[in-house]
Amino acid sequence: MSRDKVWTDLIAVSALESGDVTPVTLGHRELAVYDTLEGVTVSYARCTHGAANLCDGYFDGRRIECPLHQGLFDARTGQAVAAPARVALRMIEARVQDGMVQVLI
Amino acid sequence: MTEPVLTPITQALNDGVLTRAELKALMRRSDRPALIHLALWLMLLGATGTLVWASLGTLWVWPAMFVHGIVVVHFFSIQHECVHYTVFRTRWLNDLVGYICGLVIILPNRFFRYEHCDHHTYTQLTGEDPEQIPMPKTLGEYLWYISSVPYWRAKFQELGRHAAGRLTEVERGFIPKEEHHTIFLEARLMLAFYASILLACVVFDWWAPLWFWLIPLFLGEPVMRFIRMTEHVGRPAIRDMKENTRSNMVSAPMRFLCWNMNYHAEHHYASSVPYHALPRLHDKLKGYVHVEEEGYLGAHREILRHLFGGGSEGRRA
Repeated sequence: MSRDKVWTDLIAVSALESGDVTPVTLGHRELAVYDTLEGVTVSYARCTHGAANLCDGYFDGRRIECPLHQGLFDARTGQAVAAPARVALRMIEARVQDGMVQVLI
Repeated sequence: MTEPVLTPITQALNDGVLTRAELKALMRRSDRPALIHLALWLMLLGATGTLVWASLGTLWVWPAMFVHGIVVVHFFSIQHECVHYTVFRTRWLNDLVGYICGLVIILPNRFFRYEHCDHHTYTQLTGEDPEQIPMPKTLGEYLWYISSVPYWRAKFQELGRHAAGRLTEVERGFIPKEEHHTIFLEARLMLAFYASILLACVVFDWWAPLWFWLIPLFLGEPVMRFIRMTEHVGRPAIRDMKENTRSNMVSAPMRFLCWNMNYHAEHHYASSVPYHALPRLHDKLKGYVHVEEEGYLGAHREILRHLFGGGSEGRRA
């Protein structure tokens, strides 16, 4: 039986790398928290192309670049926007509540 | 289950070689350094081209074309950085300049990008790294590779194959199906471009492209083969990035010419770090990566030592 998703505390906003991407582990999940120009978003941290950790890549406030092959994803939607990335990132619904980034998981 | 870490820079961060803040500072992008570098670099190209012009009609044109060719073949260095999108902050500028460089040196940019991705994933792993230059087994093989004959033969076969709409099994492994038509189109456009140039030469009796571009390109390519060998050849054919790649300490003019491509181990560690920040990354990774202090010549001495000294089986392809 599947349980309902609940909002779970992930990381304090003050602990985020400002304007950048911050690696966070939640249980066995490796997540990437993006401090985008339009708010905080969260995705699974591994590149869908080569499994590199996107948290070590270049982030320009909107797009995250894979550190291994420089494939590009839109960190707001997860959409793959430049080769060799083709499969979208798996995003996790996120919000900021009382100074905490929370994810619906 | 989480996949194992593939990115060397993640490993370096885990090992505490540099901090995330340092890495992020090194990855900062800018258009300005590359635009200045490119302007100066093109002036150098103009200067060596002037040498060719001044020596036309004399035997001196051959050494002049060789010197000019050494600069021409370094369009590869710019293209290489462009396929990593680290030359310019503006991403499309990397594509534009990369395609132009590829046209100059007969290396289709889109194809090179895909092939190079696999080179970074499987660096120096025999049978998996599509750009691996095999460790020569004899002096004859060593000299034959430097002659560039095998390089050009492979490149022309590759171009013809793609223009004919065919890919090898290896190429199918790193080029997604959706991109096959792009690779074929790119090869056809490149052939059409070169056919147009040669046709213009014949029709207008205008041979400048041969003297200032194509002959220098072929004369200079052995220098590029000599340099490309120093990146991995003679290093162990294993996954460990600390061992399988070599950085070469070369003079400032050479670093300018090759856009810091000599910091090759650092580049493999963090391919998102722009070329202009590689000397700073080099300082951070001191002792962590393999550095040849005596430059390209030192690297070739190591290759020749393996060639003549035995014990190189583990280093061979």
